[in-house]
Amino acid sequence: MTALAERARVAADRIEAAERRGLHAVLAFDRNVLLEQATKLDAAPTDGALTGLVIGVKDNIATLEYPTTCGSRILEGYRSPYEATAIKRLKRAGALIACKTNLDEFAMGSSTEHSAFGRTQHPEQPDLVPGGSSGGSAALVASGGADAALGSETGGSVRQPASFCGIVGIKPTYGRVSRYGLVAFGSSLDQIGMFGRDVRTAGRVLCAISGRDPNDATSADRPPLEFPEIPNDLLGFTIGVPKEYFPDDLDAGVRAACDRAIAHLRKAGAKIKQVSLPHTGLAIPTYYILAPAEASSNLARYDGVRYGPRYAPGEGDVQAMYRATRGVGFGPEVRRRIIVGTYVLSAGYYDAYYRKALRARWLIARDFDSVFAGGVDLLFTPSTPTTAFRAGDKLEDPVAMYLADVFSCPANLAWVTALSVPVGRSDGLPVGGQFIAPQFGEARMLQAASVLEALVDRAAEAR
Amino acid sequence: MTLSRKDVERIAELAALHVDEQQLPQLTQQIARIIDYVSQLDAADVGSDAATWLATSPPQPLRPDEVRPADLTRDLKSFAPAFREGVFVVPRLTAMEDE
Repeated sequence: MTALAERARVAADRIEAAERRGLHAVLAFDRNVLLEQATKLDAAPTDGALTGLVIGVKDNIATLEYPTTCGSRILEGYRSPYEATAIKRLKRAGALIACKTNLDEFAMGSSTEHSAFGRTQHPEQPDLVPGGSSGGSAALVASGGADAALGSETGGSVRQPASFCGIVGIKPTYGRVSRYGLVAFGSSLDQIGMFGRDVRTAGRVLCAISGRDPNDATSADRPPLEFPEIPNDLLGFTIGVPKEYFPDDLDAGVRAACDRAIAHLRKAGAKIKQVSLPHTGLAIPTYYILAPAEASSNLARYDGVRYGPRYAPGEGDVQAMYRATRGVGFGPEVRRRIIVGTYVLSAGYYDAYYRKALRARWLIARDFDSVFAGGVDLLFTPSTPTTAFRAGDKLEDPVAMYLADVFSCPANLAWVTALSVPVGRSDGLPVGGQFIAPQFGEARMLQAASVLEALVDRAAEAR
Repeated sequence: MTLSRKDVERIAELAALHVDEQQLPQLTQQIARIIDYVSQLDAADVGSDAATWLATSPPQPLRPDEVRPADLTRDLKSFAPAFREGVFVVPRLTAMEDE
């Protein structure tokens, strides 16, 4: 057996073992599909940057090998007739597409409990959530079933599960990675992101799929990113610490781990500067107006005609069929967001909600612009206000669930790039620290995160 | 503001979404809680200079106008619920007057 085939076999064994244990990170997997890719690559070797890397793919990204369900009954069994640009680029780079991973339905959620096909467990403690919405991808990578995985971000859906599962998650700048083949949720916010067990692996996946794509009009006209040289220290870096991300009620263990990380950054030579992003408090209400508004429009296409199963009520016209199909096909969180989105866009409420939220978004983005224009290279914050929470704890209270995104969604609203990297543990559970960089500032962010990662690992070994 | 059950029914109809009678009370309560929460933006001063800020944003990159082949790997009919003589078969839009 060749090295590549052996690699694929080991990954397949691990995926099957994790699923037997009840992880439920995976919605579609066929070991033969994975092994065949390894055989083909062996027969026609490439010098691709990701040769032999085993990758899981969130099930809202179109693939030819597997169905693309978005974790929804309304797309159960749907097979895309084309594949996402990100998938094409991964294959071109020699990666092996292992499986499709579980998610909150249509990427709406922060715990992966809103999948129509059952929740994903936390990789270390089964009664906890892995975060979401890309919880399947995060749990798969954390459990060793894949080297890396694609997720998607609309308000923190890669960084939050990366933080909960103790791995690295990147949200690229809006426009850095093509959204062609990513099922639309909130089109002005959506971006494909990636997970790895270290910064280098996640960063290499980002580099391989970045760059202009004529199939996505919002992809930026820039060449693909190249993975930067990693410096030995952070001399010359100015890292801002925004006070709004360290509120009085921040979990004590999260605060302690982030304080230790800031001490590491300072010791590595970075200049630490206290800064303020005064409109941070507007981010969650703004996000939960704009994202549902865009979702209500994007999800109008699921009507039983063009995609997925059709539910006919027995009598009535096409409108009755639309209502029945959508009523049966969408789960509770998607229904809530469609209703909220329709409400904030309806006549009489558009100005009070949608237009006001657009203005608030501009203010949030301007906060970041001002801080970065003032000589700050990167920001450092906690990725999430708490560690992983118990399954079921926030299911009945949607607003409590939304607040899990409080530190992550500002970066999506501001179109900038951000990354979560493990910085320690609190009560035995992983804590993530977040770097936020200006638009297209991924290279500096990867450098700082790599240096911090090495220092955190070294400190853990010394204990 | 408080959202009524009737409001939720009306919005669900606008969104072409069937909601079961027994789900309505809980759904109304949850939607009202979300709307109350996001309404805190009402009290925020969001200014009026957003248009100026937007005007400085970089322009949208465009690609040349050219016709390219569809990027499909399978026939249209293979992913349509029903397909006949080159067209999608869909439910009747509305009952005809003379039927």
